[in-house]
Amino acid sequence: MTHKAETPLLSITGLNKWFGAYHALRDVDLQVAKGERIVVCGPSGSGKSTLIRCINRIERFEEGRIVLDGLGSAARGRAGQREIEEIRRQVGMVFQHFNLFPHMTVLQNCILAPMRSLRETRATAEAHARELLARVRIADQADKYPGQLSGGQQQRVAIARALCMRPRLMLFDEPTSALDPEMVQEVLDTMVALAEDGMTMICVTHEMGFARQVADRVVFMDRGQILEVAPPADFFDSPRHERSREFLGRILAH
Amino acid sequence: MSRYLAATETDARPAPDRRRTLRQILIEDFFYGPGAILCTLLLCALLAIAAWKLLDWALLDAVFGPTETLDASQACRAEDTEGACWAVIGDKLRLILFGLYPYDLQWRPGLACVLMIALYALSVQRALWRPALAGIWVVFLVAVLILMRGGIAGLEPVGDDQWGGLPVTLILSTFGLGLAFPVAIALALARQQRRFPMLQAASVGVIEFARAVPLVVVLFMASVMLPLFLPADWQVSKLLRVLIAFTLFGAAYLAEVIRGGLQAIPPGQYEAASALSLTYAQSMRDVILPQALRIVIPGIVNIFIGFFKATAIVVVVGIFDLMTAAKRAVADPLWQGFGIEVYLFAGLIYFVFCFSLSRFSARLERDLARDRAS
Repeated sequence: MTHKAETPLLSITGLNKWFGAYHALRDVDLQVAKGERIVVCGPSGSGKSTLIRCINRIERFEEGRIVLDGLGSAARGRAGQREIEEIRRQVGMVFQHFNLFPHMTVLQNCILAPMRSLRETRATAEAHARELLARVRIADQADKYPGQLSGGQQQRVAIARALCMRPRLMLFDEPTSALDPEMVQEVLDTMVALAEDGMTMICVTHEMGFARQVADRVVFMDRGQILEVAPPADFFDSPRHERSREFLGRILAH
Repeated sequence: MSRYLAATETDARPAPDRRRTLRQILIEDFFYGPGAILCTLLLCALLAIAAWKLLDWALLDAVFGPTETLDASQACRAEDTEGACWAVIGDKLRLILFGLYPYDLQWRPGLACVLMIALYALSVQRALWRPALAGIWVVFLVAVLILMRGGIAGLEPVGDDQWGGLPVTLILSTFGLGLAFPVAIALALARQQRRFPMLQAASVGVIEFARAVPLVVVLFMASVMLPLFLPADWQVSKLLRVLIAFTLFGAAYLAEVIRGGLQAIPPGQYEAASALSLTYAQSMRDVILPQALRIVIPGIVNIFIGFFKATAIVVVVGIFDLMTAAKRAVADPLWQGFGIEVYLFAGLIYFVFCFSLSRFSARLERDLARDRAS
């Protein structure tokens, strides 16, 4: 059992990804333990989003391995369709632009995948969805359409929708970047609560306050490479890599 | 720089009334100057003359049936009548509507028409837009076939070479579109995906072929050439062959419209569906197609209307549709020379169907625009 606890939930080794001729991810290695909270930061175009999109195979990759608790161990991302679906069942994702299904109500958004993919009954899926909508404090909007909600509310629905699949790992791809400033906090609060419940999370975000408060480790990426990994206090107060210092100088300047 | 501080808060006021009275509209839009007055009066006079002539021809001086001394045909040819001869419609109504279908059994094509019209009425109810609608279509269309063909449930069999008139037009449109729609979705999806290049190439080939060849050519090929290639003992009736040609044609055009809808769906929708571990089929059925089809409803309705009217072209291969029936009615020596009335009547039937579709489409666009605004 002790051995099992030491095995990381997610293990990325030698990951390389190209967009055409452009080398987007270069020799990326990262281990994430169960319950760990990782914040990935870096300048735009550094490959942060591409990295987490490779984890649930929304992007394919050419070299390396991404293993989620034994799943997806074949090299070069050549997992079979069944295996990819199993990985996606265990990994929830929240997008920058929410990507809720606009033709479905909030509740329908939440129960679709559990009913289709997990074969839950409607009653089970609905009960679970309402519980999670209550947890992101949006239970009273269950029968509205996404277009009727504010950006912050939509993003909280997106979080609840991902949680309805009972994921073991949550990916956040700049979840607050598309929000009006006054709505950022409500989404961050939801994420903090999730972290406090022990969810394993990988968050691409520029919210440094969130990183300081929640992250176990900060991963700094630039030009497709991981340049520095450190606990947030160390990373923010004494960045080691030259480009980490430049980056922090730029984003903390204003 | 001086500082400004609002001293009071402005309460919301109702918007001013922008509606105009009839008097204002007349003065501002029709009689605002000498030129406008002249144009308005001139056009009103022309309209009045045209309307009077039409009224005179179509109603006042028209013949609706036999008189005391003359039968209907003679009444129409009487020297003092210059109006329309609507009597021909009454006399030939059954032929125009039902063609050469056995006279005593014509309640069956009649009922089939009612069924198909009911099917349209059901299909335009947005509350019924769910996969179950496909089941309703199957049930209705099977019922239509049974009514028309007979041979079971104690109904006398009637070969499809005896079918004619309105039910044939409706059958060609309804079955053609009903079959074309799923084929079109399959073609659009096959063309859009990147995973199976051969499938994509096949779809592109079918669509481009069907779009590049005139419908008349395809019809001739279907009705004349196809039997040459098929084994002699394969009995495929002409109506069925024409229906297949129509399906292929309609599917190609519909597929391109649907593909446009698929392209309008943001990539984030596909990604979200994938991230939720939906399979390709699930994400298409539940997420992508419901949105894509909604976007292209006006385009789909447009094709439906064009398709409905295009069925009249089967005249050239001798299928007895509404248009052929109208031609046949006029061919009767008794009624020769009264083609205008018969064709107007046939045109009116086409108009009623197409205009209803068009109204439905307009209403739908309004509803969907309202949905998006909320």
